[in-house]
Amino acid sequence: MSPVRLTVGALGVALGVYGAVLALTRQDPVQLVEVAVWLGAGVALHDGVIAGVAIVLAVLARRVLPRPWLAPATLALVVWGSVSVMAIPVLGRFGARPDNATLLDRPYLVSWSLLTLATVAAVGVAGAVRARRTGG
Amino acid sequence: MKIPHPDDFTSRLRSPAVAARVGLWLGICFGTCFLTGLVSHWAQTPSPVVPFPTGPAWGYRLTQGLHVVTGCAAVPLLLVKLWSVYPLLFERVDLRAGRRLVGVGLERASIAVLVATAIFQLATGLANAAQWYPWREFSFRTTHYAIAWVAIGALLVHVAVKLPRIRAALGADVDSDALDRPAARSAGVLSRRTLLRSTWVAAGVAVLATAGGTVPWLRRVSVLAVRSGEGPGGVPINKSAASADVLDTATDPAWALQVVVDGEVRSRLRLADLRAMDQHEVDLPIACVEGWSAEGRWSGVRVADVLAAASAPADRDVVVRSLQPSGPYRATILPAGFAADARTLLALDLAGEPLSVDHGFPCRVIAPNRPGVLQTKWLASLEVTT
Repeated sequence: MSPVRLTVGALGVALGVYGAVLALTRQDPVQLVEVAVWLGAGVALHDGVIAGVAIVLAVLARRVLPRPWLAPATLALVVWGSVSVMAIPVLGRFGARPDNATLLDRPYLVSWSLLTLATVAAVGVAGAVRARRTGG
Repeated sequence: MKIPHPDDFTSRLRSPAVAARVGLWLGICFGTCFLTGLVSHWAQTPSPVVPFPTGPAWGYRLTQGLHVVTGCAAVPLLLVKLWSVYPLLFERVDLRAGRRLVGVGLERASIAVLVATAIFQLATGLANAAQWYPWREFSFRTTHYAIAWVAIGALLVHVAVKLPRIRAALGADVDSDALDRPAARSAGVLSRRTLLRSTWVAAGVAVLATAGGTVPWLRRVSVLAVRSGEGPGGVPINKSAASADVLDTATDPAWALQVVVDGEVRSRLRLADLRAMDQHEVDLPIACVEGWSAEGRWSGVRVADVLAAASAPADRDVVVRSLQPSGPYRATILPAGFAADARTLLALDLAGEPLSVDHGFPCRVIAPNRPGVLQTKWLASLEVTT
């Protein structure tokens, strides 16, 4: 290994150990167990569910969608899907409070629905244009 | 159901070429989040060894806005990055590999830590920005801070391990198959370039949809921002008077601000007394740790004037107490540099109107370059120890 890689790696280990010590010393065992559960659950949710859904969607799309629509649909899924995941906390308005009208005060579901409709429309149009170009 | 094998994933898109390019930007986002997070913790440290600067006034607004915006951009980047390397999760470990097994095991462990902490940081950060606390026991602030060190450490280890491959992948054409898994040969429905472009678009949409929480001219397009930016006096509210349990004490006509020096009450200033002092006007943002910010026109009396009138020394940290009966920000420390700054006010008015009770009536602290949670509302006392 080059000195650069060794240095970066050693620095990484040092920072990681420092963080682990912070986590272990500033919380009591009940809190640590919950942090561990959340750390594990995030990986399980991605590797088990989100990645699986992506595979199933890819298989379904190939069966259901005509060829010209496949690329636009994939592109749309990357954008719409990841933005939707990011928006979960505001879409659910889980943190809304009756005593604070300035928090989570946008029509999130309406906006997200419009984004979804626009995405579907864009895929439809893009696929139709491609179909016409290729004569398919 | 059989466990998949890496060779079951045949798309050319799941490649080092894509992983390295998305990973580079993901690393930049995580690095930015880490550094801006450190700035925020420095700003919130009660009496730091190196004093936090009082300027520029918009500094904390910028760093905290960047923190949340790069965190949002990291969501699409992380999802595409994990997708591109997903087959490697199923790589079989040769248990007869002997000493090499230790290296492989450590590398796998570092990736597990990196993925777990990366998802954890984004999930808890996004939830916190929307004031959603689906966990019961752990403290967001303590945990998000500690795990950030672990995440950035695991990221550096990952870069150190993969550096030759990263350089090779970034140095070669995006369509080069020199580094690909032998099984990754099928064309897929998109080119690598198009997948990368759609990833950049996704990150861009994530930024535009949220950045208006801190960039005023983006407010209209930021449909997924946690706040519209509206509120009394044009400034949103983080904690309401009702939730802080100060509705009665803050509106009590007998309210007076105590100025305490060495435990001795030097002055008791009623609202009329404060209004009778020299009034000053400043344009300063409320910049929340959660990433939103809004500029307000505040007026009131200088903290330095109030302290001088009570013959308190000007070069000491000031303990600012709120009427709040509980909560971590009931008492905060206004460092000496902030207390002495001419822009640091006990604000009585916002946008030409008396403070609303949710904004901290009868008076609150407003100081430049300071986290919103430390702009203490519903003041009860200022305390100086010589």
